Amino acid sequence: MQAQLPGPWSPLLGRLTLDQIPYQVPILQWTFAGVVVIGLAVVFCVLYFRKAGYLWREWLTTVDHKKIGVMYIVVGLVMLFRGFVDGLMMRTQQVLANGPNAPGIMGAQHGFLPPYHFDQVYSAHGTIMILFAATPILTGFQNIVVPLQIGARDMAFPYMNALSLWLTTAGAALVMLSLFVGDFSAAGWVGLIPLTELPFSPGTGVDYWMWAIQISSVGTTLNAINMITTIVEMRAPGMSWFRLPVFSWTTLSSNIIALTAFPVLGVALALLGADRYLGAHFFTAGNGGNLMLYTNLFWIWGHPEVYFLILPVFGILSEVVPTFSEKPLFGYVTMVAATFAIAGISWLVWLHHFFTMGAGPDINGFFSVATMLVGIPTGVKVFNWAFTLYRGRIHFSVPMLWALFGLFLLLAGGLTGMMLALPAINYTVHDSVFLVAHFHCMVLLVVAAAFAGVTYWFPKLFGFKLDEGWGKAFFWVFTLGTVITFAAMFALGFEGETRRLDWTFDPAWKPMLIVEEFGIMLYVVSIVCFVIMLAVSIRDRAKTRLAQPWPTARTLEWLTHTPVPFYNFAVTPQVNMRDELAWRREHGLDQAKPDRYEAIHMPSNSALPVIIGALAGVWGFAMIWRIWWLAGLSLAGIIVCVIIRSFDKNEGYYLQPEEIEAMETNLAIGAIIAEQPDRSHSSIPAEAH
Amino acid sequence: MAGAHSDPLTHPEVAQGGVLRYIAGFISTTALMGAALVVTLRHDQPYETYLGLVGGLALLALVSQAVLYYGLDISRSQIWKSVALMLTMPLFIITVGLTVWMFQSLDQRTMLMPQTMEQPTLLQ
Ligand code: HEM
Ligand SMILES: [Cu+2]
Repeated sequence: MQAQLPGPWSPLLGRLTLDQIPYQVPILQWTFAGVVVIGLAVVFCVLYFRKAGYLWREWLTTVDHKKIGVMYIVVGLVMLFRGFVDGLMMRTQQVLANGPNAPGIMGAQHGFLPPYHFDQVYSAHGTIMILFAATPILTGFQNIVVPLQIGARDMAFPYMNALSLWLTTAGAALVMLSLFVGDFSAAGWVGLIPLTELPFSPGTGVDYWMWAIQISSVGTTLNAINMITTIVEMRAPGMSWFRLPVFSWTTLSSNIIALTAFPVLGVALALLGADRYLGAHFFTAGNGGNLMLYTNLFWIWGHPEVYFLILPVFGILSEVVPTFSEKPLFGYVTMVAATFAIAGISWLVWLHHFFTMGAGPDINGFFSVATMLVGIPTGVKVFNWAFTLYRGRIHFSVPMLWALFGLFLLLAGGLTGMMLALPAINYTVHDSVFLVAHFHCMVLLVVAAAFAGVTYWFPKLFGFKLDEGWGKAFFWVFTLGTVITFAAMFALGFEGETRRLDWTFDPAWKPMLIVEEFGIMLYVVSIVCFVIMLAVSIRDRAKTRLAQPWPTARTLEWLTHTPVPFYNFAVTPQVNMRDELAWRREHGLDQAKPDRYEAIHMPSNSALPVIIGALAGVWGFAMIWRIWWLAGLSLAGIIVCVIIRSFDKNEGYYLQPEEIEAMETNLAIGAIIAEQPDRSHSSIPAEAH
Repeated sequence: MAGAHSDPLTHPEVAQGGVLRYIAGFISTTALMGAALVVTLRHDQPYETYLGLVGGLALLALVSQAVLYYGLDISRSQIWKSVALMLTMPLFIITVGLTVWMFQSLDQRTMLMPQTMEQPTLLQ
């Protein structure tokens, strides 16, 4: 019952043939050259400094939540850059290809990207930014911060944590691979139906999109289970629910959303897969299929997904604002309640993404009202932050600047969201760039919070601060770029520009398109500032080494040493108050040392997660190209790995009191970038039982 | 954490499991879902019958999975999971219910029957 395939297929290579490698496209030649050069440079550095063993033992096989979090964020930042380049190409194409007489180069009638290539660029941009940039970056912060904030040694399931990371990475790798082998989907990040059906997208682009998301969302779902279990089960003694820091609360709610929403996406994509691979008719126009069913399923996931992204962002703001206002967060209980109200409502509003489908006034009315209800808890939050700032002693450090800009974006994005939530308005601006500007305010709020988080928590992990001067330069250039680009985009929306145009036919749009291009150029400059900031900070790290980088921080993660030792807390803390560190500081207890240490049980590293991740990537590749033997083989490999794991008798090791004492006095030995001796044979000490 | 380094086989959740129960759970769910596939492929029933039939088989598969495979019940070690499963019910009702409502209205408004299309409208 396999679907009728257009084009050749061979048992050995499936649909893969030599002309699937786009070596004749100049942009891709340059990209490929760039990737090869950077790749070789990285490999050379690793070998030259003899770090291959270190990389394998301390990072690739690690189960430490902080290192996994760092790797999540690195993957996310790399993908953020890739997604940004896509954005840059789209902006440039739209300004070059303006008006009927716009010239064209490199095979394009107008501008430099032919429509088919342009369509892939925006599809990749959306998919990457939401699923492979924003999601991993936020997951990374949750990984790093939540166990520290609740006083835990690690996540509830450290091994599964590594597995989640490598599954997400496998998905990201498939998206990157589509640049050089075959195509990416040209059907938008939402998978516009019926365009994603085999007759209309006969290539492998949609398959890349589908399997990359499918594999990485298994990782996200596993991570959600891990986060929920960690917060429910692993809190330190005294960390009762209403002492839980707000970032942990938002992580909990956000992962409840992930756990309940991602399966819907999995089902939607699996049904699409059945259509494309088995010749089923779930979403076809004829033979009993129903196109709208796909759109409906996609947004049942899609809307909760955007709140999955925004809730941890609210959590980051709720940590940063009090720290740099020298005040406790205003209205903690209402903040928590608002978080869960938002999560609950996020399940009731998905139809606002397709008001124009024509389901009728009752239905559009219901979903419109439900959507606007979200404004109430969100308003509660905004006022809470405002009251926290009110009469606070405000420090305009880099994280605080990002948080304040985030509040501005929330206002702009939230109010335009309210406009879109009115069906009468929505009918006129749906699928215009006004909508695109709305959600970019929101997702740039995610980016702003991500950079607030990077600058705020970086010293916790690495022991030194990021350079304030370059950090501020980065902030201001980025902010200016954002305001200029998206103010112009709102205007273009009102001028009637629809989204996803490879050719901007109306010459009246020219001025605003030029403004947008100018804005995006500022982003380019801001990236340079970011890189300089990193370089300068690493160069001057000895000068900015501080025991307490933010003396006004309030939550438990700042109670451990900076840089944080790989075992987090030498002694599990006893929690007495909501803002535990602030309370201890007030009572002069924040520097107290325990009188003796006890052995700590630690999980051992494992190579299985990274191997399973790699096999999942191979499996995805084989499914995309329909190389059945390879798919079968890699699936069998994954099953073998799982079986090996279940017979693994390695139950971790014990860190002895003397070692802990040494690391507590000399923090450099225990820091996460330090190389650890092999402790896998440390036997279980008698007193641990 | 307690239990992290004790014998995993004595963990109450692990002790719950049993080879026979797993096999029974696996076979029964596969059989029920297979039955749903076979019934659908026959194409010989009216739409409403399918809805009931496939829905019923899916429900049975869910129950057999929950009971046989995951051993959900109201014992101390499992009650949390049973409650968590129950807590997803509202979501299920919301999404499926609203979807049914939406499609029902969408159908009436967009899947116009030929005789209605022949009638004059305001535009003609
Ligand atoms: C105050 C809360 C919000 C309201 C009222 C709101 C409302 C809306 C509405 C009505 C649409 C559909 C517009 C259309 O297609 O015609 C939409 C689209 C969108 N929103 Fe929001 N939204 C809100 C918050 C957010 C947040 C927090 C995010 C993400 C972090 C977000 C991301 C998006 C995205 C990605 C789309 C477009 C998806 C697409 O078609 O590609 N929104 N929003
Ligand atoms: Cu939405």
